[in-house]
Amino acid sequence: MQLIVNTVVLASLYSLICCGFVLIYRASHVVNLAQGELMAIGGYFLFTVAMGLFKDPFPSFLVASIFSLTLGITVYFFLMRFMAGESVFAAILTTIALGILLRGLITLIWTSQLWHPLEKMGITNSSHGLIKDAVISTFGIVTVLSAFLLYLGLFCCLKFTRFGLRMRAVGENPLLASRRGIKLHTYYALSWGIASFTGGFAGMIQSCDAILEPGMVVIGLKAFPVVLVGGLDSLVGVIPGAFVVALAEILAINYISPQASEAAPFIVLLAMLLIRPWGLFGTKEELERV
Amino acid sequence: MLKKSLFGMIISVSLIIILFTPAFAQDPYLIGVTMGVTGAGSEPLAPVKDALDIYFKEINAKGGINGHPVKILIEDNLNEPSRAATQAKQLVTQNQVVLLILASLSSCYAPVVQVVEQYNVPLLFLGVCPPEVYPPKADPNQYCSTAFGIKFDSRFAIPFIREEAKGPLKLALEAMNVPLSRNEIDWAEELAKGMGIEIVDKVVTPPPTVDYTPFATKIKGSGPNWVYTYGPWGMEVRTFEALRKLGWKGKYLAYGHIQAEDELRRLKDDDFYVFGTNAFFSDNTGTHKRIKEVSEKEKTIYPYTQLTDGWIGSTVIEDVLKRVSWPPTPEKVREAMNQTKVDTKGLKGGPITWTKDNHYRAVSYYRAYKWDSKKNRIVIAKDWTPVEVK
Repeated sequence: MQLIVNTVVLASLYSLICCGFVLIYRASHVVNLAQGELMAIGGYFLFTVAMGLFKDPFPSFLVASIFSLTLGITVYFFLMRFMAGESVFAAILTTIALGILLRGLITLIWTSQLWHPLEKMGITNSSHGLIKDAVISTFGIVTVLSAFLLYLGLFCCLKFTRFGLRMRAVGENPLLASRRGIKLHTYYALSWGIASFTGGFAGMIQSCDAILEPGMVVIGLKAFPVVLVGGLDSLVGVIPGAFVVALAEILAINYISPQASEAAPFIVLLAMLLIRPWGLFGTKEELERV
Repeated sequence: MLKKSLFGMIISVSLIIILFTPAFAQDPYLIGVTMGVTGAGSEPLAPVKDALDIYFKEINAKGGINGHPVKILIEDNLNEPSRAATQAKQLVTQNQVVLLILASLSSCYAPVVQVVEQYNVPLLFLGVCPPEVYPPKADPNQYCSTAFGIKFDSRFAIPFIREEAKGPLKLALEAMNVPLSRNEIDWAEELAKGMGIEIVDKVVTPPPTVDYTPFATKIKGSGPNWVYTYGPWGMEVRTFEALRKLGWKGKYLAYGHIQAEDELRRLKDDDFYVFGTNAFFSDNTGTHKRIKEVSEKEKTIYPYTQLTDGWIGSTVIEDVLKRVSWPPTPEKVREAMNQTKVDTKGLKGGPITWTKDNHYRAVSYYRAYKWDSKKNRIVIAKDWTPVEVK
């Protein structure tokens, strides 16, 4: 039972991180390789807010989330906007540069020390018993609930709102969308903002559930196979992709070797590329671009 | 005319003497440092910079060593091997340092050692000590003053667990999949089996681990009443916290990195033990008070509790340079380093002693600490215990 709980929590965390990859890809066909850094910086925002502004967790999370959202929008307007019309390869390289810049800023501002935002907020990450001796931490529950609410919210927003319709239009055919009067830059910026927010929120939860350190940026890259398994252009695909990858990791730890957990996501990815290269829910047309 | 020329010459020579003599007197001892101030895995290394900065600022303010200031040239290698090698070469060839210091991850060791061998300059490790500094035949250029000592640390840890357990002992081991951590845990396994201890599980975690709960689940599932872990602090403490979240009630021994003292206070768990070769600030010795005072005065980036290793390294450098006559050369520095016996004044259980064949120490003293809820403070779980280095 504990293995199932662990899988659900890990899959939820991956889903939160990977949502950003898909949103940006769907909107602008750019693979954002700085998602790990955007995630880590969310954790640092929470730590800073909890240290200097609010001690209470709710306003701390809220303000840090606003910072993350703003960061994503700022990144688009001051950096990625200038990549519009350039080759996708150049835009991806720009995200790598952005990652290096953010990593440098993290060390310069917050140093390489290990931090504990929970301590600053004066709360503990206690355990809660489930059935058959299985337990889950408070922030494990927060991870699962956040992922559920996020995907439900995004589904409703993209499917049933005018904003969602326009966002999908921008992703599908930017030229036609702009001819219809949709402001492309606004929607691109929003997709960056939401991606930064979801990644940042994952970073906030992770920093509360574990520890806050510059090394957590690698989680972003570790989560990358999830989107390729699920389909790079499919938000729906992220959820099964995350579950498959998380399950492979958990099973490898318990039944093969803990070290095999590092390779497990990539073995799943290789298998997927052989069987269905466009991912579980991805579209075949996107394959060439990937 | 002749008088005028002679007068001019005297004036010129006098000016040269006046202008240049003080400059000669103030020529510094040049020490080069290539270290991981930033970059992945720099959290236990970066505070060394703080310690070197504040220690030698104070020394220079008091007139330096043998009338000469000490200039520490620090380069950040981001823990990248190629960068570390380039910086080492530059420091040795262009800056002509008489001593090179390396405080980086073990991946940077080989390229820097190559530079040191090529240019025959002594190298002091302020990160993890490599086996090349151990007796009976230490590498002529490699020295180490820091706390780690692979193949020695577990010689204290395993008997300590045996002693503390007092009853049936089921031990689980944990390492990170990096050479130093894995080798030490393999060695610990060998030692434990030799002592008849039952090893119920050995878990080696990959370096970029998102969540330690799955690994903790595996450890808990094997039913240990003790866990011994040796690796980066993040791994050690996160596994412990994951185990506690899973409801595991056993005892846990971790290598006490520079963050350990603050972390014991944060966790406040009576069954979380840490061990190492440095004394904690809870000892409150005169040296601890001094480090705290200087750190607060100079507003160091890292907390004073993390400056011990850098401070000890600085003390050793000061002692060595005092015995190096002017002008200093790498040969003179190496000669002085081979005759080192430094009293760490309460920061370690014994002195740091280097000879021609032993560039580590003659005896390594270990101590274990834990949190005591009744006393609401950190207490010594086992006092200085000597482990002979041979």
